[in-house]
Amino acid sequence: MLSFLDTLTTFPLAELEVGNHFYWQLGGLRLHGQVLSQAGLWIGLLLTASVLGTRNIQRVPQGMQNFMEYALEFVRDIARNQLGEKEYRPWLPFIGTLFLFIFVSNWSGALLPWRLIKLPVGELAAPTSDINTTVALALLTSLAYFYAGFRKRGLGYFAKYVEPTPILLPIAILEDFTKPLSLSFRLFGNILADELVVAVLVLLVPLIVPIPVMLLGLFTSAIQALVFATLAGAYIHEALEGHGDEAHEEH
Amino acid sequence: MFDFDATLPLMAVQFLLLMVALNAVFYKPLMKSLDDRDSYIRSNQTGAQERLANAENLAKQYEQELADTRRQSQLVITNAQAEAQKIAATHIAEAQQEAQAQREQAQQELDQQKAAAMQSLEQQVEGLSRQILEKLLGSQVFS
Repeated sequence: MLSFLDTLTTFPLAELEVGNHFYWQLGGLRLHGQVLSQAGLWIGLLLTASVLGTRNIQRVPQGMQNFMEYALEFVRDIARNQLGEKEYRPWLPFIGTLFLFIFVSNWSGALLPWRLIKLPVGELAAPTSDINTTVALALLTSLAYFYAGFRKRGLGYFAKYVEPTPILLPIAILEDFTKPLSLSFRLFGNILADELVVAVLVLLVPLIVPIPVMLLGLFTSAIQALVFATLAGAYIHEALEGHGDEAHEEH
Repeated sequence: MFDFDATLPLMAVQFLLLMVALNAVFYKPLMKSLDDRDSYIRSNQTGAQERLANAENLAKQYEQELADTRRQSQLVITNAQAEAQKIAATHIAEAQQEAQAQREQAQQELDQQKAAAMQSLEQQVEGLSRQILEKLLGSQVFS
């Protein structure tokens, strides 16, 4: 068994590299080069697609504009379903960008054979399979819903913590920590696990067998992007509504 | 796997920059385009509905006019028919009267002629009876 594992590690086509990073030094800071370069690439792609789509806006959409409008309507529906018709407009850029960025990142990792590009250390993969990315996005979501709550209700936002009863205060506070934690780890775990499963299967059987798992990976990638964006919308909506407002609406 | 470093804040900044940039080149223009199209379609639709209502009103009006005209024409036809009937009736009555009159006149003339003929016959009867008497009795009568 051990000798089998040894032969695996010397297998030339596929290898597992988890936790190895291609480091960039910037001043005194250490950066994950492969993550940032990938993220930059997909940001560039998104911006290029947007500019192509909106360069020549017509009443009857054609080609790229049509496609980008489809994408916009998709993310608009996510935001609108969570925040409601009245509130969703200012939050559309945040939720929509969350979805688009995570979706493009996930699919880039699932679709493209990044292993063909050799890095000195580590490997190119979806930016969302790095914990830094997902935690950054999750913390931004936390900031967003705090900002939403404070902007809508000022310091009255804190009333949310003691409503309907102060007994739940510890749980309410705990929620503010579990929300970003669950958001980031859900995304990170799903994407990394998917890539690992595919990598392991490719290691064992390089042909055909990994394809269903890869398809499943595409599916989970899309679902995870949707889940992240939807949950971000739900958290922001919760902060906007609060318990007090709901009570007022009932009376 | 879990090594946090400067990638995290940099990624957050990158994401925020992406959001701002996408807001400028993606969300705002396309949402505006969608809204514009919505309002365009809505205004066109209301215009079309108005026009449709107008057309329907016009059609109704025309139909009413058509019905009126048809009724009037029917009325004219019945009037004309009644008039024609009346005229025909009077003409027939006149003709009958005339025929009656002519028949009566003819009857009268016939009667007159008959009477005249009878008179002349009576005169001739007298002459004939005298002649017969003369023949039978000879000249005794006159002597």
